[in-house]
Amino acid sequence: MSLIKIREVTKNYKGGDGVVEALKTINLEIAEGEFLALMGPSGSGKSTLLSVLGGLNPPTSGKLIIDDIDVYALAPERLADFRHEYVGFVFQQYQLIPYLTALENVMLPLAITSHTAKEQRDMAQTVLDKVGLGTKSLRLPNQLSGGEQNRVAIARAIVNKPAIIFADEPTGSLDSKTAIELLELFQTLNQGGLTIIMVTHNQENLNWVSRSVFIRDGVLVPIPEEA
Amino acid sequence: MRLTDITLQNLRRRKMRSALLVLSVVIGVASIIFLYSTTQVMKEDVANKLDQFGSNILILPDSGAAMNFGGITVEAPTQVKELDMSLIPLMQTIKNKETLATIAPKLLVDTKINGQTILLLGVDFRQELRLKKWWKLNGLAKDQIPSTNEVILGSDVARSLGFSPNQTITIKEQEFRVAGIIQPTGSTENDQAIFIDLTVLQKLANRPNAISLIETAALCYTCPIEEVTQQLSTKLPGTKVTALKSTLESRDDTVNRFNLFARIVSLILFLASSLVITMTMKASVEERTREIGILRAIGFRKRHIIQIILTEVGLLGSLGGLLGYLLGMGAAVRYGSVLVKTQVHIPWQANLLVYAILASILLSLIASLNPAWQAARLDPTESLRYM
Repeated sequence: MSLIKIREVTKNYKGGDGVVEALKTINLEIAEGEFLALMGPSGSGKSTLLSVLGGLNPPTSGKLIIDDIDVYALAPERLADFRHEYVGFVFQQYQLIPYLTALENVMLPLAITSHTAKEQRDMAQTVLDKVGLGTKSLRLPNQLSGGEQNRVAIARAIVNKPAIIFADEPTGSLDSKTAIELLELFQTLNQGGLTIIMVTHNQENLNWVSRSVFIRDGVLVPIPEEA
Repeated sequence: MRLTDITLQNLRRRKMRSALLVLSVVIGVASIIFLYSTTQVMKEDVANKLDQFGSNILILPDSGAAMNFGGITVEAPTQVKELDMSLIPLMQTIKNKETLATIAPKLLVDTKINGQTILLLGVDFRQELRLKKWWKLNGLAKDQIPSTNEVILGSDVARSLGFSPNQTITIKEQEFRVAGIIQPTGSTENDQAIFIDLTVLQKLANRPNAISLIETAALCYTCPIEEVTQQLSTKLPGTKVTALKSTLESRDDTVNRFNLFARIVSLILFLASSLVITMTMKASVEERTREIGILRAIGFRKRHIIQIILTEVGLLGSLGGLLGYLLGMGAAVRYGSVLVKTQVHIPWQANLLVYAILASILLSLIASLNPAWQAARLDPTESLRYM
């Protein structure tokens, strides 16, 4: 059964040379528990598609249905609630808040819940243990390696037990060993039932996913052989 | 973790910007507190001085024919109905008795000297000279109080009778030395009268204890004059207690000018502080665009962002208010009186602390509303340069 349905989605931007069509009539269904790779060259529209799928970027036309909810029909504040409840993001460059410790960064999504401070702390520590950073929870982001920061970002994305994780080039700035460790972590999370959609341009990453789609010039196309 | 924790962590991280914002509130609040405190004492000082320049309440018998005294209507000196000295202790029993700075009873009697009808004013010289500080007297040394066998002449009387200081004048068959002559004042009750000791005149007129009217200077900066008038009316039956409006109006006019000046300067400082806070918060929001984008992306509502920013500025505002109060009040207490050359001491006013903190929080919140709203409206995708 499809958890995510994207119907006739287009996304246009106003650029210097007029309107840029970043997404051109995208149709896609993603099942619950899938680990999907979204591939494509730079500027193909994969990050735009990811932001549309994540409820961050309203399409110019078309619909996004997640768990039978018409996401962009929600009022702005309900859309924020939807992101909080359903979605976890792992951004490019990790996007950790520099003045908060790893533990506090992971606790961020819990700050707007009714959990007590102790519950929040316990939940955050549990996921940090899960991503292998239990002993470094009190370090600031600049005291962690790139791979460790990425794990903190993953811990933050999963602490609220969302249904879907969106990851934008999570291995892009990692060495191959750290990248493999990260993909193993994603695979473990996916095996636990989490749906993961990962933007990547690295063909080697395809070995870890259950399905992949290819986007070029804003259109989903069959995966080219050279990809 | 609560939203407040995010605020506190951010404040710890951005110490310089936080200090700048606090400083702008401190400067604004301290200046306003200093200005307010010093103008308050300036107003009080001016009001006191104006009060000392003359009476502002007259107490008269409540009936009969009338004459004009000091621009208001008073009983005729020949009127049978009169007041007596027993009223003075009664005046000291009113609720606002401490405001009655000077009580000057008077007996008005007319007499013939060298064929002219002259008004004799029996006064308590000590009280009278305190009340009439604006008198300029020829022949009488500063702070010298005439004795019971001395009189003071009004300028018109001295001229028409041909008297000068130290000469002897016979009044009702008794000789008195002319202790001084009042330089022309422009008012008939001063220029056309002879001032004589009250008890002496009571004896000469054979009206022991009698008085025609009481002039009193009420230091009414801190009390409503109408209330004092009402209290005196209640305590002194059979009298008419009248406030001299012209004295009050001129004093109020001067005091109002001080008020206006203080308000205008305070408003300017208020606006300047608001502007600095707005600019600081705008810069702070711009600096934190990415961070706000992260929070919005992970599901923070607009109101959460607004709450974080307003909590931050509220905390800084209240700290600024506290420090501003301490600085402004401290400077006013220490240097205010000296600076504005007033005798009135400026006390620490604890109630201003509450106002200072509340006003600082309010000012900071209002000045930060726009930056906070702009922050809440940031598009998370744009903020993260996600596309």
